[in-house]
Parts: sequence; C-alpha cells; structure tokens
Amino acid sequence: MSHFIIHVGEAEDSFPCKGEQTVLHALASIHHKQIRAGCHGGGCGVCRIRILKGDFVVGCMSRDHVNNEDEASGITLACRTWPRSHLVIQPMDKLPVRLTRRFSLLQIIPDDRVNSSRDEDVEAWRS
Amino acid sequence: MAVMRLGHVRLNVLSIEEALTHYTDILGLIETSRDPDGTVYLKGWDEWDKYSVILAPSDRAGVQHIAFKVEKDAELDAYRKRIESYGLEVEEREANALPFCGRSLFLRLPSGHECFLYAEKQFVGKSVGTLNPDPWPDGLKGAGAHWLDHVMLMCEVDPARGTNKVAENVDFFGKVLDFGLAEQVVAGPQGEIQAAAWMFCTTTPHDIAFGAGPRAGLHHISFFLEDWSDILKTADLLAKHRVKVDVTPQRHGITRGATTYFFDPSGNRNETFAGLGYLSQKDMPTITWNEENLWRGIFYHTGDIIGDFLGVYT
Ligand code: FES
Ligand SMILES: [Fe+2]
Repeated sequence: MSHFIIHVGEAEDSFPCKGEQTVLHALASIHHKQIRAGCHGGGCGVCRIRILKGDFVVGCMSRDHVNNEDEASGITLACRTWPRSHLVIQPMDKLPVRLTRRFSLLQIIPDDRVNSSRDEDVEAWRS
Repeated sequence: MAVMRLGHVRLNVLSIEEALTHYTDILGLIETSRDPDGTVYLKGWDEWDKYSVILAPSDRAGVQHIAFKVEKDAELDAYRKRIESYGLEVEEREANALPFCGRSLFLRLPSGHECFLYAEKQFVGKSVGTLNPDPWPDGLKGAGAHWLDHVMLMCEVDPARGTNKVAENVDFFGKVLDFGLAEQVVAGPQGEIQAAAWMFCTTTPHDIAFGAGPRAGLHHISFFLEDWSDILKTADLLAKHRVKVDVTPQRHGITRGATTYFFDPSGNRNETFAGLGYLSQKDMPTITWNEENLWRGIFYHTGDIIGDFLGVYT
C-alpha cells in the first residue's frame, strides 16, 4: 500500500500514513494535544477534522457529528478517514470546555502523581 | 411492587456485521433472534430472558432506549399512575411493541433518554439449565459475559442555565421507581451540584449511573464477569483482537468494582465489571465523593485526571 503524508494545519508537523491506516492512527504522537482521540469508531465525534486538500475515503460515521452538509464541506472524523493522496487537514477542536469552565470538574489536583501528557489539555481547558 | 433489574438496552450501531462480531465473538453474548432489517437480539449465557442487548442498524451511535423489568404485570398500572402524578408523560404500548415482551410503558426520562418498563419477556433459560447445572457452559466465546450489569447515561448539566438533569433523574428514580442512591459526586464551590450518581434496584451498588455532560448520551454499558482474572483475560482478548481499549484493568473507588473499558466498533463504550462491590440496601447511607476526589473515585490506584473518560461518549 502507498504511503501518504498528512500535514496538520499551518504547523510544520507532517505524518506518514499508509493507505490502510486511518488519519487518526497516523497522528498517534499528537493525540490529546493537537487532535483529540476517543472511541476510534466514528461514534463520539471528538476527532472531527476538516480536510483542506487531498483525496480520501471515509467509513461509517455518526450523523450526530458529521451531517451531510458537514461532509460536503470536507468535515470528517479522523478515525474513519483513509488517505488516497497527501492530505492537508485541520483539527476542529471541540473540547468539552463548557462543562469544564462552568464548574471546573477537571481542575488540576495538587498531586505530583497526577502528571500525564494530557496535562497540557487540562491547562488549556482551565483557561 | 418493584423494578427487578435493567432488562435490556437498545443500541444504535453503524455497522451491524461489525457490531455482531464484537458482541458475540469478543464479549461472548449469544444471538437469540434477528429482524429482517438486521436488528439483532442477544443475551448473556447466565441470563434467562430472550435478550438483554438489541443491536439496531443506524446512521448514528449511542443508546436508543433502556428498559427495566418489573415484577408483575399489574404493577405497570401502578407505575403509570405514579409517573403521571410525578408529572412526566407516559404511554402504554401493547404487547410486542417491545419485541418478545408483554405490554409496556414508554416514557422519556428527565434527561431525555427513552425508557420502557415491562413485566414479561419471552423465557429462554440459562445455557446451563436449571437441573443439576454445571457452573459454566461449554462453547463460550470471548469474554463469556454473564449478563448486562448496568448502564451509565450522560445527562445535560449546565449550572449557568440552572440545568441539572443528573439531579432530576436521581429524583425521578428515587421517588417514582424506588431506586436507592448508593454513591454520588458533588461539584461546585459548596458541593451544590450533583455531578454524577450511582443508583440501584438490585443489591449491587448500581444498576444505572448518571454523569454530567454537555449533552445527553451514552457513557457505557457494562457486562458482568466473575472475577478479577476474567477482567485481565478479557483485556488480553481485547488487545489480541485490536479492540480500542479505553481503560486497562483496574479498580474503581466508586462502587469498588474491578473494571476494563473499551469501545465497540461504532464507538459505544463497553465495560466488563467484576465483583459485587458491596451489598446495597435501601437503608444504606449514600456515599459522597467531592470534586477534589472525583478522579480517585473513578481510577482508584492512580487518581489520574483523564478528561476524555468523561468527555468521550456516544
Ligand atoms: S475518535 Fe470517536 S469519532 Fe473518532
Ligand atoms: Fe460502569
């Protein structure tokens, strides 16, 4: 199978992606940073991206998160998208900020055992 | 008069073939019936009614309805009155409106989720029978899940607008369906926001749970396994079959359950859950977790903040 390159937004970042690999899978090293990763099944909608350039195919996706209009405008779920050429994509950040901001359910606990790669997200959510 | 248990959940799936493989080969449920449109009915080997899970082909993921089994048919009339006087709309549906079931009551929970109450469902029997049974049957596939244990629903909570569907569901299940409140998470400066709740009608810590989210949805459905080694074995199986694992085997502080979380092929979260936790009784005092200890309650060993565990759902 062919190798394609996924460019993420304006950033320098680019990632190799085999044709049989999903875009979300190819972006594993930036999961929870530039792109959220959830169910990997097209159901939860957190991995929404916009494809700015390139050809791709999609699998089944929940219409709750990508309706026909969205799909026509290049919006897709990274976990249900396979490249057919090099792609330029943009993550569509849909963090659950409302919930977080409203009653800081995800506030940082002063405990140095709590220290994961996701802390940046938590920081982002707090602001 | 009593609600006996969570009778079934009807799940929306994006691909019925993939879902069926997941729920039968990985979880070990048994297919008992199929509709011409592809809808499939499944049960665990240790369950005796016709089904506890319905997989329905759809263009979206999530839960379509949940259903509870009550003890006697006549109780449906009493529940109908109670629900009406509580102020919720309720409709009676004729026998077989819920497939293989007697008449049922349909209502929308305060959170918006669809819910049925029914008293009769076609009997099939446990795979080991009732006369001098073996402890488990031959030929089980995958995890060999015993039964559907509980469901967790996400309910809209938005303090700025004064919306708290977690609290509204808790009130309804407590007052109308006589569920007990085993545990709760409270948030906000004065702990005034009930942000999650675990409620029971059996003697385990929860048959249904509610969590706060920006929109209504399904957090997970959970299947019972006998013990910790079954949980570990299931996680091996998930890895072997490259199922997307969400949370590796560990213990919850809340409910004390041993747990593993993963996703079905449509992104609906599943859990395999072992252990009684503790004996729940209606006179047991409710356990409260405050906001600072929320994550310790969820992931007892590490207490790690894993926001996506609450933020990712169908
Ligand atoms: S990760 Fe859930 S839809 Fe892609
Ligand atoms: Fe659970």
